Amino acid sequence: MAEIHKIIASLKDALGVGARSNSQAEAASAPVPVAQSAHRAALASTFARELEAVGGKFLGILTPAEVTNRIVTLAGEIGAKTVALGQGVESDMEEIGEALERADFRIVRTIPVADTERAAMRERVANADMGIAEADFAIASTGTLAVVSTGDRPSSLTLLPPASLVIVQIDRVMANLAAVLAELGAGGVAANRLTLITGPSRTADIEKRIVLGVHGPKSIHVIVVWPRDD
Amino acid sequence: MAEFPKARDFFESSRAAVGDHELRRKLENASARHLDHFAEVKAEFPAYDDERDAAHRIKTDAIAHLDELLIELTSKLEARGCKVFFAQDAADARDYIVELAKRRGAKTVVKGKSMTTEEIELNGALERAGIDAVETDLGEYIVQLRGERPSHIITPAIHLSKEDIGQLFTDKFGIEYTAEPEKLTAEARSRLRAIFLNADFGVTGVNFAIAETGTLVIVENEGNGRLSSTMPETFVAVMGIEKVIARLEDLSHFLEILARTATGQKLTTYTSFITGPRREGELDGPGEMHVVILDNGRSSMIADPVLREALNCIRCGACLNVCPIYRRIGGHAYRSVYPGPIGSIISPNLFGSAAGYLPFASTLCGACKDICPVKIDIPRILLHLRWKESTGEHPIRWPRAIERARRGARRFAKMARHPRTVRALGNFAAMVLKPFAHNGYLRRMPGPFGNWTKYRDFPRPRPHKRSAPAPERPPS
Ligand code: SF4
Repeated sequence: MAEIHKIIASLKDALGVGARSNSQAEAASAPVPVAQSAHRAALASTFARELEAVGGKFLGILTPAEVTNRIVTLAGEIGAKTVALGQGVESDMEEIGEALERADFRIVRTIPVADTERAAMRERVANADMGIAEADFAIASTGTLAVVSTGDRPSSLTLLPPASLVIVQIDRVMANLAAVLAELGAGGVAANRLTLITGPSRTADIEKRIVLGVHGPKSIHVIVVWPRDD
Repeated sequence: MAEFPKARDFFESSRAAVGDHELRRKLENASARHLDHFAEVKAEFPAYDDERDAAHRIKTDAIAHLDELLIELTSKLEARGCKVFFAQDAADARDYIVELAKRRGAKTVVKGKSMTTEEIELNGALERAGIDAVETDLGEYIVQLRGERPSHIITPAIHLSKEDIGQLFTDKFGIEYTAEPEKLTAEARSRLRAIFLNADFGVTGVNFAIAETGTLVIVENEGNGRLSSTMPETFVAVMGIEKVIARLEDLSHFLEILARTATGQKLTTYTSFITGPRREGELDGPGEMHVVILDNGRSSMIADPVLREALNCIRCGACLNVCPIYRRIGGHAYRSVYPGPIGSIISPNLFGSAAGYLPFASTLCGACKDICPVKIDIPRILLHLRWKESTGEHPIRWPRAIERARRGARRFAKMARHPRTVRALGNFAAMVLKPFAHNGYLRRMPGPFGNWTKYRDFPRPRPHKRSAPAPERPPS
């Protein structure tokens, strides 16, 4: 289109004025120190501390069976009636779903949908009291969860319901943001929508006072999963 | 393009703002909290200064290769199914979005927080086309309800107290008065949620665009950006040409400092990475995605090697919080979409010479430069713009009194090149003014010099030979 050429041409002119810096090569970022797996527990505890600092709730480092029980208890604690959940990254979410159903919670399972069913499915997720998702990674230094959304793990799960529960595998807790982005790589980041979540939705727009739960969840609960055979 | 007021209006509005003690209290309160948070976060993050250097370097490089990066970004975006539109000025961008909204039959447009859409005055254009534009960031929502502009680029309603907002909600929605931020927020949440679920058209700004992957990165705390970019069927992202960075690995350097400086957080609550519209079978995301890339004077800033640095700005808002001028007059008095120190640089360049007085609205104290996360030398650029003005490149229409004083100053400058004349005149002034001085200071000076002594005293000129240091300031 015409505009892009005009703008690029004027940019070329403009850039010709000052000498172009040639430091592109040396500008490469310094390598990020990635903690070794031996420090997994330490990273998980840093993560827990930072998560709590931003108003999230850390429910512990649990085995898969404990995870299921804890989630059922939590759903009761927050008075949920309907719980939405999608596919896991590594965890078996079906087991969790069934346990919730046995405990008489209504379940909304997100599955890939045709365009005609989208509105209805979204409505169901929005009306759920809690959304359950598994994060691809967690960031220890900031208490952040990195969640990639796909057809059966939609972004809505961590956005629409007023309470959010996220699980993450312990070996997916990374030291810092750069490590997670490096782990995902350019391909991973561009493949699907990625959201970094650091605590519950919040605002400080009224007299700089922090209020939680503006548009997204008011509460976020996180469990770090310790694999069975470890 | 926005009609910008003349310098005289700025003097009037800033004088009024300085006299508004309530406003001062709110601004000081907010700035103080901000600086406390910032100090805590900085103490906890020793790498802060290294990250600032890295961010400065990366951004400078990106601007130096902007033409290539924009071409790369465009081709990546298009490959992922986005429509890319380059807008030369605000009107181009506005028309494109309004036209698109009309064609899609949109009734309501939900907007995530975005200064760029303020810059192009999108809301007014949508309203004129009969389309509701709803700001969904809480602060923006509040100022929109009041029919105002944001007064801060990060905290748009910084000039309002919770009581002001409580009253606003009572007036607009007929709800029972409350000044509790929690209740006010809950009210806004439920109203906006209903709008989100039905909106068919969403618009947000962009914080970073990664050329390597064609990914747009949106940083926010509330979820308004997430909702505006996932719920509606049509989604438009609006970005200035300077938002592009080369690689994914560049990004963390910015994210590590942006929230720390902007709000005292380590990272904002939500950072969304959006690469194209929704894929087959996905529940979320728009079916159709457009990216509007706006020049609007930015490329002309690049042509000036000093001004170019201002395009490194990542809009963290910190320079506003530390600026002694901003802290006294607030954002509205600047009468520009972008207030504060960085606003004084970009406004005249984006909106033309009508805002050319803004570079003079600074004490050049340097607090902005010290806090800027990308280390922009704001005072240097402000001086550069003043110099440009003096060469007649950015002419300003000053109020008559100031114009007269400036003419006088120019004449003085010419004369000052002759030391002997200066000395003679100095001695003459010393003699004439001596009887009017009190304790070595002049309380009031005649004619155009009166403006100087309006707010401070002037040390009495001394005869040249006995040039003694000025005496201690007398108690006034
Ligand atoms: S100039 Fe620097 S301090 Fe001011 S808003 Fe931009 S990045 Fe922040």
